[in-house]
Amino acid sequence: MKENGKFFVGLGGVALVVTYLIWTGVSESMLYYLTPVELMARVEQDPTFHQVGVKVSGRVERGSWSRAEDELLHHFTVIDLLDESVRFPVEYRDILPDTFNDTENVDVVIEGRFREDGVFEATVVLAKCGSRYEATAEELLG
Amino acid sequence: MILLGELALWIALPVGIWGAVAGFVGGRKERGDLVLSGEHCVYAVFFLLVLTSAGIITAFVTDNFEYWYVANYSNRELPLFYKVAGLWAGQRGSLVFWVLLLSFFSAAAVFTNRTKNREFMPYVVGVLLTISSFFLVVLLFADVNPFERLPFAPADGRGLNPQLQNYWMTIHPPTLYLGFTAFTIPFAFAMSALLSGKLDTRWILITRRWILLSWFFLANGIIFGMRWAYEMLGWGGFWFWDPVENASLLPWLAATAFLHSIQIQENRGMLKVWNMGLVTLTFLLTIFATFLTRSGLIESVHTFAENTKIAFIFLAFMGVMAGCSALLIAWRYPQLKSENQIQSFLSRESAFLFNNLILLGAAFSILWGTLFPLITEGLTGTAIAVGPPFFNRVNLPIGLALMALMGIGPVIAWRRASRRNLVKNFRMPVIVGSMVVAALFLRGVHHGMALLTFGLSAFVMTIIIVEFVKGTKARARIEGEGHLLAFYHLVSRNRRRWGGYIVHVGVVMIFTAFAGVAFNRELIQTVDPGDTITIGSPFGHEYTLTYQGLSSPRGKNMVRQAVALMTVERNGRPIESLTAEKVLYVKWESSPLTIVGINSYILEDLYLILENVNDLGGAFENEAGAQRATFKVQVNVLVGWIWYGGFVVTLGGIIAMWPSRGSTRTAPRTKTGGKRPALAARS
Repeated sequence: MKENGKFFVGLGGVALVVTYLIWTGVSESMLYYLTPVELMARVEQDPTFHQVGVKVSGRVERGSWSRAEDELLHHFTVIDLLDESVRFPVEYRDILPDTFNDTENVDVVIEGRFREDGVFEATVVLAKCGSRYEATAEELLG
Repeated sequence: MILLGELALWIALPVGIWGAVAGFVGGRKERGDLVLSGEHCVYAVFFLLVLTSAGIITAFVTDNFEYWYVANYSNRELPLFYKVAGLWAGQRGSLVFWVLLLSFFSAAAVFTNRTKNREFMPYVVGVLLTISSFFLVVLLFADVNPFERLPFAPADGRGLNPQLQNYWMTIHPPTLYLGFTAFTIPFAFAMSALLSGKLDTRWILITRRWILLSWFFLANGIIFGMRWAYEMLGWGGFWFWDPVENASLLPWLAATAFLHSIQIQENRGMLKVWNMGLVTLTFLLTIFATFLTRSGLIESVHTFAENTKIAFIFLAFMGVMAGCSALLIAWRYPQLKSENQIQSFLSRESAFLFNNLILLGAAFSILWGTLFPLITEGLTGTAIAVGPPFFNRVNLPIGLALMALMGIGPVIAWRRASRRNLVKNFRMPVIVGSMVVAALFLRGVHHGMALLTFGLSAFVMTIIIVEFVKGTKARARIEGEGHLLAFYHLVSRNRRRWGGYIVHVGVVMIFTAFAGVAFNRELIQTVDPGDTITIGSPFGHEYTLTYQGLSSPRGKNMVRQAVALMTVERNGRPIESLTAEKVLYVKWESSPLTIVGINSYILEDLYLILENVNDLGGAFENEAGAQRATFKVQVNVLVGWIWYGGFVVTLGGIIAMWPSRGSTRTAPRTKTGGKRPALAARS
């Protein structure tokens, strides 16, 4: 029984360590996952929210994308999926995924910080070209 | 052919249901004729699914765009092998593909057991056909019928997403699906053992090879997926902790745990309930993987379809399956008592148990992180996400602990290990590991976690090599064989053990490769033809890339292609040049696909991305003035070791699975753990 006891202490230890890792991992890397509407409301309520890293899912506004001529710097506008009047400009300094474009309704998830000047400084841009994956009968006809 | 396929799909469902009922009733009432009828249904369902799949592929190959599924995933100019791969390009086809593979494995399991293990077969047939029938019901009644017709036939289809027009498309999904579906067989045998009350280790011995087979395909499927993601821009490199990637890793982690814990049951008659739980968990995770990939419930870069109706059906199915097996385990609980107890903290069973707990801890943390946005949104109304930093942070220590166990496991004895023996076995590996760390540190490697990883991998490698050497020597001495022959016999007489060690070598290589990421370098530069980009390697040498300009050939199913050529020199000496491309595919003219260029060397990859062409339209027209472009150049350290490690894992897996002559391996072990004299001599 003594060995069994020792053994269960060991197992309990492992379980505790894993729990601890998950706990600290979450608290140190968590990001609010918001829609543009929610982001605006948050920032209005609490201006310190500008300092916090957030993840936002929205849609790329058609025709809003431009790239700096000789510098890897993209500008585009993200709009809310439900309320198109809610929008903000985005700056991104890395390579955009191929699925990103501003000619179709491309859904994006961006990660970064919503600066005080109203520009979202993105560090990650994931694009999902939702409308293009599967079409209804009407779309196929057109 | 297409109509025949559709008809076959409809016939398969009643056949499957009848077979399931016949299996269960035949088992309960001990009616041999019913059981036989059920087994025939297993073959019939497989045959019908072959017809169904052939029907779908025919529709693709003959450009029959009247079918919604074909119109959505193909176009006339699409190369033939992507048309065939259309079977698993979208949700509808991949569900058919799933049942096809499941029914194939079911038929194989019934066929190989047609004369033996008969007492398990009734319920095995019942369980397998129940699962197949579930998928068939989904296919026919959940708005995902692949044979759904449009009211008209479009002139051309919408084409396959360019990101999927990659040769890995024909390899990666089938491999992963083979792994997912193969695990249904051990699950069915486990359930049959519970239902029939044959609760000894027989079900494990029968399905051991199936478990390995499933594990093997899962491992390869994951590695192939990593390679594909590595070659694709926008998928975040070889591993991004994306929900869909995580979904494929979860059953692999659980299956790995299971592979180890069944050995405790085989050797020591312990952990019977645990193994029943683990086989159920692994099976559920394979279903969960399809569910997550195909439901679109969680945002992923790999989600190619959304259907929330399917999501709920799958959830319900997983719930029912979990409930049934929990009830069965509870019912048989008294008969699942352990025959032995842990005798010592320092024993192999204890090491295996820690391995189980750590693997499941990793699986739990990954599941938790993946579902975190859903959980937090449900509880607080605001979704909170965790990204790669979370997964890396949690799984790095877990990975290191697993590596340490891979070293400890092989040299620690069953039941009770003596401290003196441990010290003797660990002295040299610890010294080698420490020397590797010291040498790397002196050479300028100061990244703590990477050093720890390299040190541990040297430790494990040494232990495994020493094991091989000791085993070979002992055998050579006792049997009087030459060393080469002794080595061959050593491995071939206990394939699972030595194959397993080889798999460990591969896994350690892959873990080592992950640590290489800490030393990667990258550079972004805009250049005109004739300009050079220079990037240093952490190994001290320097690459100079000279931009030679763009050309515009045209490949099959492509509208336009811009290929940038870079000649490369290493320390001034010319080496293999690199190309990187932007391609416009037919039907996908608004978003060019970026094709990266990779030069692989033993210790690093030179990786080139054509980020932007200032005047892409001009470049497509071969205009001389439209050549200015921006490149990202990366030196990816040790990344090749993932693929080398993958080969080693494959090799070890094949050795472990290879059918053995005679049945010595399935004989029950004796008190000494059934060790052959040659092996017993070493401990």
